[in-house]
Amino acid sequence: MILTGPEIEHSLKWGDITIEPFNKAQVNPNSYNFCLLPTILKVSINENNQSSYETIEMKEEGYVLMPHVLYLGATKEIIGTKNFAMTLLGKSSLGRLGLFLNATADLGHFGSVSQWTLELSVVQPLRIYPNMEIGQIAFWAQQGSFTGYQGKYLKDLGPKTSKEDFTNYDSNR
Amino acid sequence: MILTGEQIEKSVGNGEIVIEPFEKNQIGPNSYDFKLGDKCLIYKNTELDAAKDNEVIEIEIPDDGLLLDPNKVYLINTFETMGSNNYVPVIRGRSSIGRLGIFIDITADLIDLGSINKWTLQLHSVMPVKIYKRMLIGQVTFWVTKGDKILYNGKYKNHESPVKSFSHKDFKNTSQ
Repeated sequence: MILTGPEIEHSLKWGDITIEPFNKAQVNPNSYNFCLLPTILKVSINENNQSSYETIEMKEEGYVLMPHVLYLGATKEIIGTKNFAMTLLGKSSLGRLGLFLNATADLGHFGSVSQWTLELSVVQPLRIYPNMEIGQIAFWAQQGSFTGYQGKYLKDLGPKTSKEDFTNYDSNR
Repeated sequence: MILTGEQIEKSVGNGEIVIEPFEKNQIGPNSYDFKLGDKCLIYKNTELDAAKDNEVIEIEIPDDGLLLDPNKVYLINTFETMGSNNYVPVIRGRSSIGRLGIFIDITADLIDLGSINKWTLQLHSVMPVKIYKRMLIGQVTFWVTKGDKILYNGKYKNHESPVKSFSHKDFKNTSQ
């Protein structure tokens, strides 16, 4: 079951969902619109799968994302939940402009409370702006007992590069 | 909970879901296959701006198909009018389409409750590939909701043809 907008608000009041800061105007019929932190990372990945990046502090005039480049952004809001699964998606207004918000990694780390890292890429060059509403989050009821996420991205603040460790990686393990 | 194909058909029958026209042979085990419409929007400029009104060109998809350029976004409506005030639709490409490297949405797969119209698909291909009007392009699934409902009343309501981005309208209160 997917939570409706009013149920998302209800769950915030009960503390089952965290969205900080929260703005009622950003509630949709079945999701919540979040905003973009001004800091984004322009990523390079070397032959050992190690990420390096250039930090970009977006100013008011915005920043043009280029095709074939991966940028990592983050939600301005700290988002998390104790009870629901989360999926992240773009806004149709920005999908219509060719902005991908994630690279098929849309299922949240249940139990994490963080500024979500967004995997931004574009089809055509696109100017984006700091603090703009950039995507949506949906919450889903779960079935079964659960222990929350305890992994490496648990309390991220700001965009974070991949922490997958490929050193001494054994392909035949 | 996701609706089964049989439940989708029942819900179309009792009006809880709109799929118009509805073809029984397009029902899957837990989804409905929808078709591509006839009209397509392409942006005039290569560089787009989220805060500006980006101009588009409208074309009719030719009978012998439209070759997608991987460097462009194509906005094409669904052939069917679809939506629901009761279940949340989620769209995706058919696997036959995904295997050709065609994206039918650009991370915007979740449809609002109450958004009942011809949806604008955001087509993008990894390699050059030809598409045809009225081809079966995607699937819609329907999900049970939890909580009180409010219905979509936003800027893309009630459209019958592809609609370009109105992103700039979200910037009306800023300096852009």
